[in-house]
This record gives sequence, structure tokens and C-alpha cells, in this order.
Amino acid sequence: MLSNKLKYFLQQSWLLLVSSFFFGLLIAVTNAALSDRIEQNRIAKLNELTKALLPEAERFQPVEAGIEVQLPDGSKEKATIFEALSAEGQRVGWSFNARGTGFAGPVELVLAVDAGFRKIMGFNVLASSETPGFGDQIKADYYRKQFINAPAEKLTLVKSGDPAAIDAQIVAITGATVTSQAVLDILNRFILQIKDQMQKKGLIDNVGK
Amino acid sequence: MSASNGSIPSPYPAALFSGLWKENPTFRLLIGLCPPLAVTSAVKPALTMGLSVIFVLVCSNLVVSLMRNLLRPHLRIIMFTVTIATFVTICDLFLKAYTPQMSEVLGAYVPLIIVNCLIIFRAEARASRSGPLISILDGVGMGAGFTIALCILAGVREIVATGRWFDIQVMPKGFVPWLALQMPVGAFITLGLILGLINVMTARKEA
Repeated sequence: MLSNKLKYFLQQSWLLLVSSFFFGLLIAVTNAALSDRIEQNRIAKLNELTKALLPEAERFQPVEAGIEVQLPDGSKEKATIFEALSAEGQRVGWSFNARGTGFAGPVELVLAVDAGFRKIMGFNVLASSETPGFGDQIKADYYRKQFINAPAEKLTLVKSGDPAAIDAQIVAITGATVTSQAVLDILNRFILQIKDQMQKKGLIDNVGK
Repeated sequence: MSASNGSIPSPYPAALFSGLWKENPTFRLLIGLCPPLAVTSAVKPALTMGLSVIFVLVCSNLVVSLMRNLLRPHLRIIMFTVTIATFVTICDLFLKAYTPQMSEVLGAYVPLIIVNCLIIFRAEARASRSGPLISILDGVGMGAGFTIALCILAGVREIVATGRWFDIQVMPKGFVPWLALQMPVGAFITLGLILGLINVMTARKEA
């Protein structure tokens, strides 16, 4: 009785079983052949975007410090901090990824700060799906330049002001207040928490606190 | 099998060319409309998507055609899906490895080719009842028709929304870009206008 059922099952489904096996093999082989290249692409993009923020940096070394950032939903995420080193091996800054929710979906940024974590060196957008022409102007120079050399402290958004002034006040993008605020929230959350934990762990000085 | 003797035309050219216009999946059959609406804000991603669909369509048509005599009626859809999913995953990996930028722009829409009804439709209507050669030709023809349709839509949207075509500035300096066409609503409007135009053209021809 049982063997009859098994026989029927195999009769019906042998093609699915056999082809699933071969298809799986095909995908595994392709993945094995390409995964190194895909990983390299990812690292190359991150390095390129980070180097644009820290022109003196030659290489980036991950810091094993167990730093965690608390997200708005209460969960904690491990943050990987990179120490940016110049060609002579001197520390020229720190960089890390930050992410959060924008107007139209997740926003992923790469951020750089100076060696003492006092100034922001700027950010680049790794991934976002903000509205073309409005929210996606967070990638535009005029918005991003406001952050370069801004203090690594709590930033606030203003509707009108001088975008050229280098201070903790960021002028919002016209027609994209939600996106502008979202970027600020992401920066504030990651910069403040990471700075605090790095100071506690002695990775940077407590000067100015 | 000895066709092309005048009375019975060879089925091969028809299999290849019907997808280009007479049975164009996007403009005449209106199937597989997710990519034409989702990835046609610029020509480059549209072309990448089109080529990916050609690859998946040809491979899945070939495999389905080869196993057509082994298929059980009630298990055929799952067999189609497994086959298509395999080739889409391979295609996705290749895009990630060799054109990471395009892969990022297309995002989830490459994996979503798995559920594109154009590919299941060709597996069901053609590949599961025809030989391998005719199924391959059908895949190439249908895929090419689909790609051309994507590029036409994307061309119109990219020019009107950004003044560029294939990332090259084509409009004069004073041109004011109409950004709305780059948003999802632009895809619906452009597709609707093109379909209307085609209906007007074909109605005149038939009259």
C-alpha cells in the first residue's frame, strides 16, 4: 500500500525532482563562478564613493569594535566602521554605512567623518528610490555640499537659509521636505550613536564633550 | 516535415517574425506589461531588461520544448516556473557581475521576470507543443518584439522627461523637461498614447 503510493508519487514527479536537481546545480555553478566578481563590484563601489569623500584615503580597514546602532523600530544593528588610512598609514578619517527609510523606500548612505570625529566629511547615496527630480536631489552637489565640514553633532533642517553656510543647519530641498528630513534623521541617528560609542571605547578623544 | 512547397508555408519565418509586429506582446497582445511600465524611464535599463528577457525566453522555450513529451498536464505550470526561475537567477547573477550599475537600476525587476506572463505564455502556447528550433525562433522573435516595444516607450519617456536619449543630450538648451513622464504615471500615459496611435493606424489600414 505504502509502496504503491510512493510509486505513484515518483511516477508523477520524477521530472520535477530530476530537473530541480540539475537546475540547482546550474545555479550553484554560475554562482560559484561569479560570486567573487559580484563581491568585488560591491567593494569597489563602496571604496570609490568613500574615496570621493576622503580624497587622502588610500585604504580602508574595518574596525572590530562591536558598535551597534539602535534603529527607530527598537532593533539594533551592528555598524561596521572603517578606518581610512593615507598612503603613509596615517588615519585621515572614519567611514561607515548608514541606512533608514526615505519618502519612497529605503535610503542607504555611506558617510565619512574626519580623524577626530569632529567634522562630517560628507555622504554619498548608495541606494535610494526617491522621486526623480525632487527627493533624488539628495544626490545633487548643492545639497550634499552643505554637509561637508559640518560639525559631527545633531543637525537640524531649516526651510530657508544659506546653503553655503557651513553649520549644523541644513537647508531642505524644495518640494522634498520628507526626503531631506529622512536623510538628516539617518545622519543624526548614526553619527551621534557611533560617536558616543567610539568615545566610550577610546577609539577617539573625548575632546569637546 | 517537407514544408515550403507553396501551399503550406514554412512555419519558421512566421515563428520568428510574428512577435515583432503582428503579435507584438506589448503593443498588440498587451501581455507582460510589468516591465514596460516599470523600467522604461530611460533607454539603457530598458534595453538591458529586453536582452535579459530574450535570454530567459530563448532558454526556457528550448528546455520546455525538449521536455514537452514528459510533461504531466497538472504539473506543467510548476515545471515552467522552475525552468524560468533558474534562467532568471542566472541572468540576475550575470548582470550583477558584469553590469552592476544596470543591475542596481533594475533592482527587483530582474527577479520579477520569473512571473512575467509573456514567458509562461510562450512556454504554454508554443514551446510545450513545438520542436526545439521553432521554440527558439519564437523566443527570439517574441523577445525582440518585447525589447523594441520597451525601447520605444523608454525613448519617448527619456527624451521628454530629461531631454536625453541613451544618456546623450538631444534636446536644445531651452527645452523644459517634463519630469512627470519619468514617474510611474508617465509610463501609463505614454503606453496609452502609443496604443491609441497604433489603433488609429491599424483601423485606417483595415478600413
